[in-house]
Amino acid sequence: MMVKMNSVDALVAQIQGLSGNSSDIHQLHGHLKQSEQFLHSESTRLAPVLAQLDPAKHSLGYLYLLEALTSVPFSKERANELVVVVAGFINACTAKQIRLAPDKFISVCRRFKDQVMLLEAPMRAVAPLLTAIQKLQPSTEHLTTLHPDFLLVCLSTKCYKTGLCLLEDNISEVDQPRDFFLYCYYGGMICIGQKHFRKALELLHNVVTAPMSTLSAIAVEAYKKYILVSLIHLGQFTTSFPKYTSSAAQRSLKNYCQPYLELANSYSTGKISELQTFVQMNRDKFVVDTNFGLVKQVVSSMYKRNIQRLTQTYLTLSLQDIANTVQLSSPKEAEMHVLQMIQDGEIYAAINQKDGMVRFLEDPEQYKTCEMIEHVDSSIQRMMALSKKLTAMDEKMSCDPSYVSKAGRERQRFDFDDFDGVTQRFNL
Amino acid sequence: MASSSSSGLTFKLHPLVIVNISDHHTRVKSQSQPPHASPSSANGCDASVSAPAAASPPPRVFGADKKVFPNFYILGWYSTGSDAQESDMLIHKSLMDINESPVYLLLNPSINHAQKDLPVTIYESELHVIDGIPQLIFVRSSYTIETVEAERISVDHVAHLKPSDGGSAATQLAAHLTSIHSAIKMLNSRIRVLHHYLLAMQKGDITSENSLLRQVSSLLRRLPAIESGKFQDDFLMEYNDTLLISYLAMFTNCASTMNDLVDKFNTAYDRQSRRGGRSAFM
Repeated sequence: MMVKMNSVDALVAQIQGLSGNSSDIHQLHGHLKQSEQFLHSESTRLAPVLAQLDPAKHSLGYLYLLEALTSVPFSKERANELVVVVAGFINACTAKQIRLAPDKFISVCRRFKDQVMLLEAPMRAVAPLLTAIQKLQPSTEHLTTLHPDFLLVCLSTKCYKTGLCLLEDNISEVDQPRDFFLYCYYGGMICIGQKHFRKALELLHNVVTAPMSTLSAIAVEAYKKYILVSLIHLGQFTTSFPKYTSSAAQRSLKNYCQPYLELANSYSTGKISELQTFVQMNRDKFVVDTNFGLVKQVVSSMYKRNIQRLTQTYLTLSLQDIANTVQLSSPKEAEMHVLQMIQDGEIYAAINQKDGMVRFLEDPEQYKTCEMIEHVDSSIQRMMALSKKLTAMDEKMSCDPSYVSKAGRERQRFDFDDFDGVTQRFNL
Repeated sequence: MASSSSSGLTFKLHPLVIVNISDHHTRVKSQSQPPHASPSSANGCDASVSAPAAASPPPRVFGADKKVFPNFYILGWYSTGSDAQESDMLIHKSLMDINESPVYLLLNPSINHAQKDLPVTIYESELHVIDGIPQLIFVRSSYTIETVEAERISVDHVAHLKPSDGGSAATQLAAHLTSIHSAIKMLNSRIRVLHHYLLAMQKGDITSENSLLRQVSSLLRRLPAIESGKFQDDFLMEYNDTLLISYLAMFTNCASTMNDLVDKFNTAYDRQSRRGGRSAFM
């Protein structure tokens, strides 16, 4: 292929000329795809060329040039200025144009993230990656490949709140299964960091029950954390899997998580001392999995469970008795625990300081306020939207060829007389 | 087909007549519209059309009717269509042998949702001089619907009868809720009309009519005046309960759909054989 010295300029001129309306952009896209190899070969000379282009107007062309530029490894000094350039591009680019070449955009962002990690300043990647995700995804319900990268960066910089705002969106379209696994796993870790245990449980549950043909390591790690978070948040752990778990997970997941299952068993006895001895014995295993912090939280949640169990038996109890039953060292500590639980809304009680008695109360919610009406009403609306989506998915599934073939296959076992024209569901 | 009648007769129409006519029409819809005579009683000048029995056009049958219904006599006939026509006049003339001034009741079977009135018109025949020739033409008469309250309710019930196999609780509940819904919708639209009117009056677009304002204020004063806290409490609690029930119903519905979806997914994609193995071989 003949390479002319000034064809880079020719390409630049094309980019500048054809970045007007959408039909021009398609034409430009075609040209750029053809010149891809050429660009890669010229990557060292592309840096000054970038200055001639405007990242907002000529996003597509800029993207191709950037991608070629970043495809070669380079030194730490250059990395710094490149990070600035890429960050500027992400902030300025036009979403419509970059969506025409999503994989290029993703690879540029990935390399950006790697460079930032190399420079050991992951904080610089948080905001640009968030902007990149918002520009790349067709709607907030789409999961892109950049989601888990972003969450990983948030985890490394402990910017949990920024990560949380991305986790608020409900995902219903996934491009790559692996993205989904990583997204839910990292998301679960972020929620654990922020002590949003309910959402963490939900995300980790998604990883464990996601369809997989062979067991994935992400699922194993997620299952371990899932057991611990379930103990902290719910106070119990059920070992049976829901029926939508893949068979691969159902068969082999438990084999890899033995110490955690035993921990759950000893938790269910309700005795703090047993739990603590168990934890001490298996300390190294937990530390290796970097789950020891969570395990400590599990132990401290045991006190809460026991106090909650007391509310079901007693109407009033003295602080001393609470301390004795729950195996706390002093009534003062019991008072602290109870106070914390009242503040968190986990129990309803009143402490009488004069005689050290705690009176357990009922849930004061009477369900007769307008706020409650609005709350229930909004829940009903959400449920209706979800129901519509589910019905659409159900219909799509009924037409799916793999389902129809398998459902139809069973029919032939019956006698001819049993045959009827309508496909039935088999709930065996 | 001219303007209003000048015969001085006021007609009172019974709703069951209209139901019967529409029933009959539905039954013979495939054929052309055969006219039918309806024997009905007359009380002097206020002729009330009530309880027709279907009779066929040949006049000799009318003689038989005289024996079957000695107290009734043929008042007129009814038909379906959108407008009175020339052919109808011939039938009308033949009826004039029995009754000097028969009544022609026309039911318009086409459903027009925009129309507020009943699509029923009553025509009388009158001798008019047109272009120097005396001719019999149809003229419209006004009528009112006469019924007792109790009758009205039962006729309404008859009109809303569902098919025999629709007796399940679900369809009855749906019918009940539909009627409540339509009633509330009507109430809403009428209140809105009043509201617009009052707003326009306030803005000054329309001259304010004191009599109307007095009527509106008297209506408002009739509204329930319970404002106590206890009422609010109970009302909100009941409201909440109903909402929670609907929420629960939606939940169950959603859970059922999801269950089906999961079953289908497992059938399609899971390699493991389902629990229970294959179905029994008959």
